[in-house]
Amino acid sequence: MVNYGGDEVSALVLDIGSSSVRAGYAGDDIPKAIIPSFYGYKATSGDGDVQMSENAPENFDSTAKQTPSDAKLYLGQNGPSIWREGMEIGNPIRDALIFDFNPVPALISHALVDVMRVNPSEHPILVTEPAWNTPANRERMAEIMFEEFHVPAFYIANTGVLNAFAAGKGSALVIDVGHAMASITPVVDGFVLRKGLVSSALPKLVQAHARHILSNPTQTRRGIELLPHQLIANKLPVEPGAPPRFTLREDRISGTTESWRVWCESREVEEWIQSVAGVLDQGWNDQAAASRSPRQYEFPTGYNTYFGPERYQVGEQFFFHSPQLVAQNPNLPKNIPTLLSESLRACDPDLRQVLMGNVVLTGGGSLFPGFADRLEAELSRNFPHVKIHAPGNPIERRYGGWLGGSILASLGTFHQLWISREEWQEHGKPIVGQRCK
Amino acid sequence: MAVSASDIRSALSLPSSSTLVHSITPAPRKSQGQVTKKPEGISRELYALIGPSAPSLVAHLAKPRLKQKPNFGSGGKVKWEWRPFRNAGRTDSLQLGHWVKAGDDPDAEYSFTKYNVQSQSYTYSQEEYIHKDWTKEETDNLFNVVREYDTRWYVVHDRYEPPPDGPARSLEDLKDRYYSVCRKLIRNRPWAGDEASKAQLLNSYQFDKDRERMRKDYIASLEDRTPEEIAEEEALFIELKRLEQNERKFKKERDELLRTLLGIDSGLPDIVAEEDGLSALSAEGFKKRKKNANEIDLPSTPSNIISLGPPPPKRPHSAKSVAYDAQHCIVRVEPPASSTTKITHTPVHLRSFKLPAPKAALLPKVTQTLTELGINHTRLVMPTRENCARLESLIEATTALIDTKKVVDRVEQDIRVLRIRLGRASEGAEEDGKEGTPMEVDGGPGAGADIDADADADADAEGEIDGRAQSILSIRSGRGRKQSRRSMSVSSIGTSASTRVGKRQKRS
Repeated sequence: MVNYGGDEVSALVLDIGSSSVRAGYAGDDIPKAIIPSFYGYKATSGDGDVQMSENAPENFDSTAKQTPSDAKLYLGQNGPSIWREGMEIGNPIRDALIFDFNPVPALISHALVDVMRVNPSEHPILVTEPAWNTPANRERMAEIMFEEFHVPAFYIANTGVLNAFAAGKGSALVIDVGHAMASITPVVDGFVLRKGLVSSALPKLVQAHARHILSNPTQTRRGIELLPHQLIANKLPVEPGAPPRFTLREDRISGTTESWRVWCESREVEEWIQSVAGVLDQGWNDQAAASRSPRQYEFPTGYNTYFGPERYQVGEQFFFHSPQLVAQNPNLPKNIPTLLSESLRACDPDLRQVLMGNVVLTGGGSLFPGFADRLEAELSRNFPHVKIHAPGNPIERRYGGWLGGSILASLGTFHQLWISREEWQEHGKPIVGQRCK
Repeated sequence: MAVSASDIRSALSLPSSSTLVHSITPAPRKSQGQVTKKPEGISRELYALIGPSAPSLVAHLAKPRLKQKPNFGSGGKVKWEWRPFRNAGRTDSLQLGHWVKAGDDPDAEYSFTKYNVQSQSYTYSQEEYIHKDWTKEETDNLFNVVREYDTRWYVVHDRYEPPPDGPARSLEDLKDRYYSVCRKLIRNRPWAGDEASKAQLLNSYQFDKDRERMRKDYIASLEDRTPEEIAEEEALFIELKRLEQNERKFKKERDELLRTLLGIDSGLPDIVAEEDGLSALSAEGFKKRKKNANEIDLPSTPSNIISLGPPPPKRPHSAKSVAYDAQHCIVRVEPPASSTTKITHTPVHLRSFKLPAPKAALLPKVTQTLTELGINHTRLVMPTRENCARLESLIEATTALIDTKKVVDRVEQDIRVLRIRLGRASEGAEEDGKEGTPMEVDGGPGAGADIDADADADADAEGEIDGRAQSILSIRSGRGRKQSRRSMSVSSIGTSASTRVGKRQKRS
């Protein structure tokens, strides 16, 4: 037991991301509960559906974007994806940070109590945070855990560090491409070097680019309607490239909110990306892109066609932006090579070689076919000895942060770092900043 | 399912099966016991199928015994229990629970506490503080950060925040400041241990800021090379390698040529000996020794060594090289003329290594003689060329002296023996009357032969002389046995001499 340094105290690990909330027992290799971070809500109550009522009594200075605290929430697998009349879609995360704490307790409670069926007051809990999290945010999270879930002990750890741990490394350059943010975090001896930390909303740009490709007409096809299957009554099979033959559910159109429609469209785009898009592993080359076999994809409307080079244009956005695009958008998110050089420039020259030998690629956004190869090609152009750790297992790649938390919270030597309830009551919020460096 | 037949019987209070069987069927089925035992290495089910009719298969199967199944633990079940524990590394009273073996000591200290190691840090007081560039607050701040991150310098540099109006600090600045303060503290504070450990500790806090900065600059310049520069460097490196290789090849060829032309005289170290190894060496060594001995004793005696052919032509010494040698006091040792093999090739050596030494057989005597004269020959204080030559002549002279003395002793002994014999002969004149003169004649050459053969004598001189005398008598006289037997009794030789006698006879 002592041999591998593990000592499990049945701790819970909670990893809140832009697209999903992951929760599970420390020591497991996959999270037990994976629920979407998106949730549906209705400002007016009175619906007898599967629901979670917000139980946080206190009120914040709610901005217009925030969910009203008395709203009815629809969470989990049966939450946002089910069409409900007048249901809005919300997400508490923006730029990987929690900006709206109102629905967060409900989300956590849904993951822990409804899906995992545990009593949070019996288990120490480790929560993750992005490296650029604000002190106020982490203190608020501690407060929620202690005051609302009555956890016996709490710790908040950095996703960059946890991703490095999941790869079995104490020092690493973590390249995390998530749902909303791409970040590069230098980690040394389990500490984030804040000066070398860079991030950008690159995945958002990639999604926007994909949507642009799909919805704008080309020479060979018209713009594609990104209607979700919830709004389609029936459809008929058509030849590839032929206009779709389907009927809308007219009864639902009027009751559909704008936010739900946007969310559904972005889901259609994401699904298309996930099944079709890729990255050319040796840089952009028209011939190489044309030589790859086109891939067929069918949308919920029944429209289907073959996608050729355009599917590689999507992934190319991670690594290269055309000069005219840069000229048009001064606030364009930085691409990965720019982020890399920026991050390394901030690191000590001694460290660069160490970091390049321990590159960890993680995050669901990095699952594009050819992404790791392309990254390796980009890196080895500038550095002699590059070694990339990119888990082939999609679960490990997507939930690397959770996995690292699972490893950390089951270590015997970690248990002296927990912020206990007693310490919380004695020292209050500053203890979070002191303990979780 | 676990209910057995006997249980049912006892429940129904029936007689036990054995008695029942005996009472009903008096002839019990013997076949059960007669079934041949299942051989090892074959499963019961398989045996039930094939029966005992496959002995070859069984023999084949029985051969490779499978590895025994591993026995995890002591076989019994281990009881685990959920137990709350306290971590001594914590300052609060947090109780967490974990699964432990039920037998473990509940009061034992938490096993991971020992990994909670605090690093040593220094503190200083206001009075001790004097510095122009760093304020005390800033240094305090630095020390706090260093303590907090256990001197992980990269992290310290990342987290250290200089005061708003203060200058920005590089990693080298921070390290230099911290280590110089630590060094000063160690140096100026009273030290409990010894000086060595203090010096060692001081050494571990050594930091050369300029050097470190220079090293970083080098790394930076290395990284800033353009691809063209890198390509050029690589090309140059390959060119260098090629040149080196050419150089080596050329040298090798030159050596080859030298070796072919000059052989051993080329002085190259790795000349292959043509002779066959060790046996050649020992035989050669033996012959050489023998030859030297002969030269010392009787230089005129023709040696029985196989002639090794004419010596190789000497390297012609030009006048220039002679002059050069004379100018630089170089003395060239001529290789022994008799051989061309590697063994006789003398490499460069110290003169003192080649000090002449007397033969092993004569060594004690030589030493004794020299000690009588008050000379120690084993060590020359100043082994110059002249001194070595003189020592060699001295030892030669001493050896000659000892040899001569030996001969003299032998002759005297012979004379004594013969005198005694002569006295006896005159007593019994009838028997041995005619023997007197031939004996005396025989004695002379016999002694001469002894001297000749004595070169490699190893044993005690007295006994040898006697034995030889006897042998000579027995051969040369070739007469009555009585006489020889008598002479033996007179001179009282050890029996060991007789074997040597046989050898001598053959040789002479």
